[in-house]
Amino acid sequence: MTATANPVPLVALRDVWKVFESVTVLRGVDIDIRPGRVLALLGGNGSGKSTIVKIISGAYQPTAGTIEVQGAPAVLAHPSDAHAKGIYMVPQEPHIFPNLSVMENLTAGLKGDTAANNARAKAAAHEIGLDVDFESPGGELSIASQQLVEIVRGLLRNARVLILDEPTSSLTRREVANLARQMEQLKARGIGLLFISHRLNEVLELTDDTQVLRDGRIVLNAPSSALTTDMLVEAMLPADFSVPAEEVSRRERRTGDSAVLSVRNLSSRLFKDVSFEVYPGEVLGISGVVGSGRTELAEAIYGIDPFVSGEVHIAGKAVPRRSPQISQAMGLSYVPEDRHAHGIFLALPSSQTVTAGLLSLGRSRFMQREHERSLTQDFIQRLRIKLSSPFQVARTLSGGNQQKVVLAKTLAPGPRAIILDEPTRGIDARARQDVYRTIRELTAEGVGVVVISSEVGEIAEVADRVMVMRRGRLVALPGGPKTVEQISAATFAANGAAAA
Amino acid sequence: MKKILKSREFLVLALLVAMILAVSTVNAAVLRPLTLINIVNSSLFLVLIAIGQMFVVMTRGIDVSVGAIAGLSAVIFGMALNAGIPLPLAMVCALLTGLVCGSVNAAGIVFVGIPPIIMTLGTLGAYRGLMRVLTGGSWIESIPQSIKTLAVTRYMSVPLMVWAVAALIIVLAILLSRIKAVRNFYAVGDNREGAYLLGINVRATEFTAYALAGLFSGAAAIVFTGQIGFVPMQTGSGQELKAIAAVVLGGVSLMGGTGTIWSAVIGALFLTTVDSMMIFLKVPGSWNNAVAGAVLLAIVVFDYLIRRAVRNRQLAMRAAEMHHAEQDHDTRLQPREAVR
Amino acid sequence: MKAAAVFKSWEFMLAVVLVLELLVLGMINPAFLNIENLLFSTSDFAHVIIAAIGLTLIIMTGGIDISGVSIMGLASIVLGLAFIAGVPIGFAVIIALGVGIAAGAFNGAVVANTDVNPLIVTLATLFLYAGIATGLPTLLDMLGFQAYGAGGFEAYQYEGITGLPKAFTWIGSGRIGWVPMPLVVALLLAAVATWVMLFTRFGRYLKLIGVSPAVAHFTGVPIKRTLVTVYAMNGFAVAIAGLVLTAYLGSARSDLGSEALLSIITAVVLGGSSIYGGQGSVIGTLLAGFVLGFMRQGLLALGISSDVVPVIIGLLLVGSVALRIGLAKLSTARANRAAFAAEQMAVEGNGGRS
Repeated sequence: MTATANPVPLVALRDVWKVFESVTVLRGVDIDIRPGRVLALLGGNGSGKSTIVKIISGAYQPTAGTIEVQGAPAVLAHPSDAHAKGIYMVPQEPHIFPNLSVMENLTAGLKGDTAANNARAKAAAHEIGLDVDFESPGGELSIASQQLVEIVRGLLRNARVLILDEPTSSLTRREVANLARQMEQLKARGIGLLFISHRLNEVLELTDDTQVLRDGRIVLNAPSSALTTDMLVEAMLPADFSVPAEEVSRRERRTGDSAVLSVRNLSSRLFKDVSFEVYPGEVLGISGVVGSGRTELAEAIYGIDPFVSGEVHIAGKAVPRRSPQISQAMGLSYVPEDRHAHGIFLALPSSQTVTAGLLSLGRSRFMQREHERSLTQDFIQRLRIKLSSPFQVARTLSGGNQQKVVLAKTLAPGPRAIILDEPTRGIDARARQDVYRTIRELTAEGVGVVVISSEVGEIAEVADRVMVMRRGRLVALPGGPKTVEQISAATFAANGAAAA
Repeated sequence: MKKILKSREFLVLALLVAMILAVSTVNAAVLRPLTLINIVNSSLFLVLIAIGQMFVVMTRGIDVSVGAIAGLSAVIFGMALNAGIPLPLAMVCALLTGLVCGSVNAAGIVFVGIPPIIMTLGTLGAYRGLMRVLTGGSWIESIPQSIKTLAVTRYMSVPLMVWAVAALIIVLAILLSRIKAVRNFYAVGDNREGAYLLGINVRATEFTAYALAGLFSGAAAIVFTGQIGFVPMQTGSGQELKAIAAVVLGGVSLMGGTGTIWSAVIGALFLTTVDSMMIFLKVPGSWNNAVAGAVLLAIVVFDYLIRRAVRNRQLAMRAAEMHHAEQDHDTRLQPREAVR
Repeated sequence: MKAAAVFKSWEFMLAVVLVLELLVLGMINPAFLNIENLLFSTSDFAHVIIAAIGLTLIIMTGGIDISGVSIMGLASIVLGLAFIAGVPIGFAVIIALGVGIAAGAFNGAVVANTDVNPLIVTLATLFLYAGIATGLPTLLDMLGFQAYGAGGFEAYQYEGITGLPKAFTWIGSGRIGWVPMPLVVALLLAAVATWVMLFTRFGRYLKLIGVSPAVAHFTGVPIKRTLVTVYAMNGFAVAIAGLVLTAYLGSARSDLGSEALLSIITAVVLGGSSIYGGQGSVIGTLLAGFVLGFMRQGLLALGISSDVVPVIIGLLLVGSVALRIGLAKLSTARANRAAFAAEQMAVEGNGGRS
């Protein structure tokens, strides 16, 4: 099954399933973490990576399947169980207690003599290259140092398995190179590492084995040296991802059209000097990895974060003051990246999410149940939403249907332009095709669409024009539609290459 | 040292001193040692329940039943003394009552998952009702002399109770800085998920916080009963809200993770002093609550403004850090080479 | 709503509990079931229901306002003082209600513009408003206002202001047909609040904010405006509660209603509102208010000491929340099991590709 000879993995998952809120996230996953090797776990947003991480680190329990630690079945009911068995997770956002000192942060949760713990912490910190003032507050550490704090915490617990969840997503290039050296050192000590990342080049350079997760299943399992970026991209694409970009009829921009959305010199803390225009009936694809500033850009344009400089024009009119209400009233809608946190009212009937965007526009001042029902019914048919009734509670829907409900909410006001941020994150292949079809229908109606995605295949499929977001800068790829290879080269190249 | 000067506790302490000095320009009697001693003496009850409340608020919880627990403990204490139980044993009874009441709160909140405000509001009613049921609604009087003697005894003109509570606070402060598990309160309040993933027993920590809140309310009951020599039905009534106000005033954030025992002590002293100052300013006592409320509101809003400024600065710093790294990178590698 | 859903609703359960309660109390003491007595006894707790209706709207947004009990006293004393100062009673009522709305709106403004926990904001204003209420008489004296009669306003610092005109006390002691006025006011407010919740855009905003402030923000809900408005509405409701109680007791006092906090919150929570927001109904609060009110009456009628009442209310509060938590956990577990079984079936049907 695996290419490596090492017989007993430090940690293994065997046919692990996980169901949350009636949604199946993992569908029988097998994973092997071996001593002295780095295993990369790769997958699109919502593919189930973070759930696997939480199961291995004891924060979640699998619905079915077993966890083996050094060959023996184990129950990890609590993170401290995982720690006791030598497993430690370095989370994507390091858990730093800003009000405690660095030393207290390092030793938090450790049992035993304080002086001895402090001495060990100092030694471990020195070994790993964490040279900071141990008495300064944790809140003053840089992100890279915070991550090292987490690694030291793991070492202090005598971890034999370290899980690095997106460790490079907010590191500078030099910090990534430093991290790579530390990983080599850890490997040499026989520690097994699980490395989670979006950056394909990093995965190929820093890891020994790679497993790719898609829709809750492992779809690729091979030594990293035998893989290429293209193979990874292909593995992450949905199984029936077949529509070639060229076959879709694309609307030519007519010379007389004026832009429905135009962004001029927009800058904030996380992106600099961004300008672009979107014309009626076209799809502008913005490709960018996590941390590139793409979501911050979308939220700034839509008005979530008003503290930016620059101008936004919607349908030819300057936006006087950025706010979601004003954007919607002027004809710009936004489908946010994080569906549960920002998109859908999980605890309410789906119909109430669908009509929510209409309320602030002054329409349907008096809630009419029949009106709400028929409007929702229209969208159920148009977007092929699977609902037992328009009033089915959103929480009980699958991810794809939830996303369609969010899409219905943003389409209900009849926008001139729409920004879709990771529109197919964590949804199944059929729902994905429905979303793409809806995008095509919108462009046929003359709506200007912006699709932001970290899946290059998605950009290749839907975009008439491609721009790439990298570290807060937006760069256009000249010409029309692009292939997966062209986009991934531009998206990943500048971010990858860990060792300088 | 710089850290102490910048702390909220110090700010409130400075405000407290400033307030006393300001009032002394109107009425110099404030500065008499006896006045100050009396203020401290009358703050003891609030200081103790505020310390208990501090543990709860540090973990992002809230306990509005501490006043009722103090009342119930005082009733048990009084009944025990009247039943002829020796003083030390009666004290243990009062403390145990507090501990049990606090543990009941903790069980509902930690094991059943009832929101803290609901659980403790419910037990607030229950404990206060129980207090009346036990006594038939009448005050407990004729408490043995032994406890009252304790209250009137003074060393160097400072009441024994003040010495005792001061000693308790100092011992606690030392213990809290030495015991490692204390950090768990901060960790749980600061970042509950993070604490859990670090293997800290979040449930045990929260349970302990509510149990301690009960225990300190029991201690407050002993002090109260000793000071006034009987147990009225109003014992502790309304004090739960003052205790919360005191700890928040002293710098324990309701978002958890901050605060020390000094927050509770200084916050409670401040609120008590406000009450006394009103007398010296000849402001009718009816304004006490208004002033306490206005001060609490001003402090929490001010705290919000400061936190917002700090957060913005941190974000800007991180952005600048990334920006520099990017420029550094730009000069070494041409990023454009990626775009073919 | 389908018939089955109605029978399974929390409100229906409360209605059943209310009927059972009346029956049991009636069986023990038949005099209790006298309709006229029963209706008249609602005057003792109508103010709790009125205040609870206002609080229901706030709790719907995931907020809370515990300062309502102080606003009750504030409205009462403002009315009384205005009356003593010679303001016509109708105008005095308007001033008192205006003060209630302003006090509520102030709470809302602080809650909406800072991230300070609403519990703490309103804890501070609980003290602030209570202090203003007790301090107001002396303030008026200091400002040189003239009161009727000797002794100035100070005499009313802790004393009730009596002698209010009949036209006003009728709100508390009058009746329309058999229905006493306080109950009429409570039912009227409940009807208005239900209409707001079910049929207005504003009512929907309250729910959306309660379910998820972040999603509401992304959807374009005007969060700040909505919050200030709903806290102001609560201020209005508790001011009405204060005036109704003032009229019923025939005395305007600054400490009016200060005992009611536990009962008010219990009525809201027992009525099915979630303290985390987004869930609950005005009808539920109304029914729970009756359950609590009649229970107190019934226990007293049975000769049980009033001391036991808060114990029972407290246990009810905790018990009802625990019950709801338990039911929710059960249904989630059941739904997850069903989803897992369905998924596994689907995989086996597919020929078990792994």
